[in-house]
Amino acid sequence: MTSQLLKGINVLEIAEVWAGPFGCSLMGDLGADVIKVESYPRKSETRNAGDPKLDPRVAEGAGPIYERINTHHHGNRNKRNIALDIRTSEGREVLTRLIKWGDILVESFSAGTIDRLGYGWDTVREINEKITMLSLAGWGQEGPYLGRIMFGVGFDAMAGHSLIRGYQDGSPEEMIPILHSDATVPLTWIVAVLGSLIERDRSGKGSYIDLAQIEDLAWQFPGIISEWKMNNRVASPVANSDPSIVPHGCYKSAGEDSWINIAAETDSQWESLATMMGYPEWAELKHPWSSIIGRIDSRADINSHINQFTKDYDAFDLADKLQAQGIIAAPVLSPPDPLMSPQLHDRNWFQIIDHPFIPERLLGGFLWKIEPDPPSWDQRAALVGENNDEILMQLGFSSEDILQMRKKEVIGDSYDEATR
Amino acid sequence: MTQPLNGLKIIEIGGTVSVSAAGKKFSDFGANVIKIEPPLVSEVRKIAPFPDDIFHIDKGAVHLAFDTSKRSIVIDHLTNSGKEIIQRLGKDADLIIMDIPVTEAQDLINLFKDGDNFLTNIVTITPHGMTGPYKDRVENDLTLFGWSTRSHRHSIAGREPLRYGPYAGVVQIGSTAAAVGMAAVWSKLKEGTTRLVDVSGVEALMGNVDSGFFLWAVNGALQPRSAGQSSGLYPSGAYKCKDGYMLFSAGRDPVYSRLCNAIGRPDLATDKRFTDPEEKPKNFEIFKKILEDWLSTRTKYEAFDELQEKGVMCCPVLDASELENDPQSVYRKSYITRNQDGIGDITIAGPPFRMNGLHSDAWESKPAPNVSEHTTEILQEHGYGTQEIIALFRAGVTT
Repeated sequence: MTSQLLKGINVLEIAEVWAGPFGCSLMGDLGADVIKVESYPRKSETRNAGDPKLDPRVAEGAGPIYERINTHHHGNRNKRNIALDIRTSEGREVLTRLIKWGDILVESFSAGTIDRLGYGWDTVREINEKITMLSLAGWGQEGPYLGRIMFGVGFDAMAGHSLIRGYQDGSPEEMIPILHSDATVPLTWIVAVLGSLIERDRSGKGSYIDLAQIEDLAWQFPGIISEWKMNNRVASPVANSDPSIVPHGCYKSAGEDSWINIAAETDSQWESLATMMGYPEWAELKHPWSSIIGRIDSRADINSHINQFTKDYDAFDLADKLQAQGIIAAPVLSPPDPLMSPQLHDRNWFQIIDHPFIPERLLGGFLWKIEPDPPSWDQRAALVGENNDEILMQLGFSSEDILQMRKKEVIGDSYDEATR
Repeated sequence: MTQPLNGLKIIEIGGTVSVSAAGKKFSDFGANVIKIEPPLVSEVRKIAPFPDDIFHIDKGAVHLAFDTSKRSIVIDHLTNSGKEIIQRLGKDADLIIMDIPVTEAQDLINLFKDGDNFLTNIVTITPHGMTGPYKDRVENDLTLFGWSTRSHRHSIAGREPLRYGPYAGVVQIGSTAAAVGMAAVWSKLKEGTTRLVDVSGVEALMGNVDSGFFLWAVNGALQPRSAGQSSGLYPSGAYKCKDGYMLFSAGRDPVYSRLCNAIGRPDLATDKRFTDPEEKPKNFEIFKKILEDWLSTRTKYEAFDELQEKGVMCCPVLDASELENDPQSVYRKSYITRNQDGIGDITIAGPPFRMNGLHSDAWESKPAPNVSEHTTEILQEHGYGTQEIIALFRAGVTT
């Protein structure tokens, strides 16, 4: 059984992609009872793929493609699943009962959509005055951009982050898409909803939380706005370097596309690094590089020497050697490389997960370890509609009700593969 | 004014960017956050930019943004006298979050052990966790990010992998600690139970949803590293307009068709050169020219308004000078300007979320404290007398 920190909290998820669903999985890891209301009959966005032979997101195997897409699996552990058409009257009755059941409702439609579906905050709190409703639209629920559509990569661009994270000689046309808000927004909204439950204990009422994903990015990068406001400069990319630390960079190691990150933040780390490189004199007082001032003046030369040094070493081996001397150093891992980490194995971080259509995979583990009740992967990503009957019976529907709902396609347990 | 976290007592120890980011999630929402700083300058205070490029222990931008609404006390946690203070401060805390080396953290954890239980919730932040062969390794924002597999994907094939913006990784690790810490606080409030939580920076980053490892582990295939304008599924990426760049994610229908209509070229929506998967990549430059010709007569905000009106997924690429004047930011007060003693007006990001309305008072950002500003006040609150406080200063335990 997984951690029980959030035992007794009921979470209702009507959310797609990652920022909502992954946070719900984290709540599930912590012991909350999470029910995912999955879009039906339209597939969830993370269940869509192109040609499975060409789309690297699709795992090989038998069974429906929409059950084998990696982007879906990661954001959906430790929750139950009901596939429900909430545009039907029966579906709305189910959703209403789910809202009565929930302590927290998480929705991630573009702003205004949930209202148009008939489940805006005023309606939701009429159904359950104690529920907390979280909305995750990218630009928030109020303001001139109401209803506009975008996702993580766009919020990153509008928060000013995209223009400071590329190559120093790069252009915006080379911008690499990232989904940082999908990773960090869940961490913020967990604090938000639990804070609202604490508030509920005082007031007896739930809260409405408007989390604009772009605003959650903004606080994470204070240097961007401050460089402008304090010094009238527009921050530019520093890539892997640090203006105040040399060396601080990514260097080529042996093997194709293999790299190592190294930094020496102190004179002492620099002395150790210079000695490892075979040039202890670089750290002697008479040598200009023995001081940080000299090193900053010679950043390019020093980086060139380090690249010469690192290019013949395996990144993992060299990081071991450098770390043994107290130097900040680590291999740059490609996606399969974590399996080579003795640390992660020692901590039993990897999780063996079985799935009807993706058998026995060694997947990544949890974001934290907890004593005395560690998290566990009690429920793999559920199949579409896998818990329909169980959930509906829990809500008080009869077998006949469920049969009728299935006949009318209010609920389902499969998608038409061809539809998006 | 009542804030949602009023009444909570949170202790943060270590002075790093991570632990400061973690504490901020509590302090601006009303918790009593005591920032225990080391006698040597906290990492978070050393980070530029500084006003007019003049360094000052109390004026670094990251400190000013992340230490809001907290109180600062300096304690040497390596000394027995320092440990005694921390024990006294922490015994009625709801949560202690610390980011210090493993052996030091273990010493402090032992202060709060009560048989098999803990007197309070404790979250440790370390690079690799509290156990294992790498537990004593030294890492920083750059190397942690390299571990996470994100750097690898955040690169153009053949070129060096990149971290994100500076400190993105360690801030995320701090947010991870705050999330699980908040859950521990909830459990303590509801059940009276406490937890010891071990947040490994590597695991916090690698286990998150955008981890390259996870995606690979499910299907054993490497995702192609995409950069710039996609020539296969376009338009996707940044395209030049009159005064900058617009970012598009409009390669698939129905958004692609909407775009074609919006730029006055509905014919492109059914033109096989751009719809046939085999033909489309060959005709990227033709489409790019059509789109950029249209964009060249419009500013990014004109294009943004016009295209979003038609349901096209796009947005302008903004730089720092444009952030606080963006109409949505202005409307929502996404950035706030307030006075900071010794500096004058500073601008920081507003609330990360709004509870019960845009202008509710659930969030309040009070000025970040000067170093050790509240040492005497906090020691007095915890029962230390005048002579004891002087003795602690004389012994170098506080400064």
